[in-house]
Amino acid sequence: MLMSDKKIITKNLDLYYSDNQALKNVSIEINEKKITALIGPSGCGKSTFLRTLNRLNDTIDNVRIEGEVKIDGVDIYDKRVDVVSLRRRVGMIFQKSNPFPKSIYENIVYGPRINGITGKKELDEIVEKNCIRAAIWDEVKDRLKESAMGLSGGQQQRVCIARALAVDPEILLMDEPASALDPISTAKIEELMFDLKKDLTIVIVTHNMQQAARVSDRCAFFLTGEIIEYNQTSKMFTKPEKEETQNYISGRFG
Amino acid sequence: MLHYLEEELEKLKEKIIKMGSLVEEQIDNSFKALFEGDLDLAQKVISRDDEVDKFDVKIDKHCQRIFALTQPVAFDLRLIMSSLMINSDLERMGDISVNIAERVKVLLGQGELLRKMIVDDMSVKVKKIVKMSIDCFVNGDAELAKSIINFDEEIDRLDRKIFDLLTEEMRSNSDLIVPCCHILALVRNIERLSDHATNIAEDVIFLIDAKMVKHSKDPENLKPKE
Repeated sequence: MLMSDKKIITKNLDLYYSDNQALKNVSIEINEKKITALIGPSGCGKSTFLRTLNRLNDTIDNVRIEGEVKIDGVDIYDKRVDVVSLRRRVGMIFQKSNPFPKSIYENIVYGPRINGITGKKELDEIVEKNCIRAAIWDEVKDRLKESAMGLSGGQQQRVCIARALAVDPEILLMDEPASALDPISTAKIEELMFDLKKDLTIVIVTHNMQQAARVSDRCAFFLTGEIIEYNQTSKMFTKPEKEETQNYISGRFG
Repeated sequence: MLHYLEEELEKLKEKIIKMGSLVEEQIDNSFKALFEGDLDLAQKVISRDDEVDKFDVKIDKHCQRIFALTQPVAFDLRLIMSSLMINSDLERMGDISVNIAERVKVLLGQGELLRKMIVDDMSVKVKKIVKMSIDCFVNGDAELAKSIINFDEEIDRLDRKIFDLLTEEMRSNSDLIVPCCHILALVRNIERLSDHATNIAEDVIFLIDAKMVKHSKDPENLKPKE
């Protein structure tokens, strides 16, 4: 595979919460326009790792990071990197949907407005385009002025995805995006991930093994802050290389 | 959930082992009936095929249930997949033992010809390969499975040798054409037993080493582990 196919590369990444080491020597290459799943038991460091990819850990006190995280070959922890612009390029979806207490429309145009887009026609177009991309348009097109808080959990999550997409990110980080949703809403999120990977690189943390198997192209298994195995998902779920992987994915521990 | 899965897999394995011994017994009895001209025993083999068929369905249903309820992966997935394939081979072997038993009547009194055509030698070898194939599943022994695949070639050579012996016999004594034709068909059946045993060995290699060796001509796959 050509170097240019690697969107994110981390090398010897260590992360400490005070004296507690949460990530140990994590080196991984994440392919562009593919879905990469991070799996592992609670506390293994997968969400911490995800948050290093858009420097969300910067907001936590006493976090120390060593090693490299490069996106398109640029070290995102370099002093010259503008964190706001980084987070525009690297969007994030959380486990619990977190719409702003505003209308559906205002949720989606929030980012573009901050980025200086003010024209109504342009903003309308952004709302429509990204609601379609997030597979929520048909459900909200007649109620865009209503509060996003009145939507169901699954709809709120897709509005959050539309909001994240509205600033045209290149990477979407998803931290258990469907764990609080029913199977139909989950299926919708998974289907839209397939559509989104035509344009975006997606990294998803999930506790649902079947979800990791269904949606991802590659899968990284984390255990106590280390990557135990990183492989093609089809290989990971049929012929894992490490015994720990076999034990975890078949539910024997974790 | 985990406890449930492990229990189910253990039960499935037990069922395959039971199916294996049932089919092995059917094969042994069909050979015994053939060489001893025992029509009652041949009939017993034919009647007992129903039991084999029922067991076959039972195992298929069990596999389906585990798939549906536990979404198995990795080794667990391979165990269920190989159980399905092995079950199907065992059921076919059961059918073949019936084919052998059905031929006992037309070959009554041909014990000497059968021995002259070394069919008894072949039956001993085939019984051995069948036993080995079931043993390698029971013990999860991929190395034994690899040796079975090589052993099958020995049986194929014996099959070709018997073919030559039969054609020679038919040429020199036209009175023996009819029994020789029956033996020819019989030997074809016996050889198929060995092929099914080989399939089981390939499934065990898939189960243990996660390698698909069926239809593969690559000798690397059959090398013993260092």
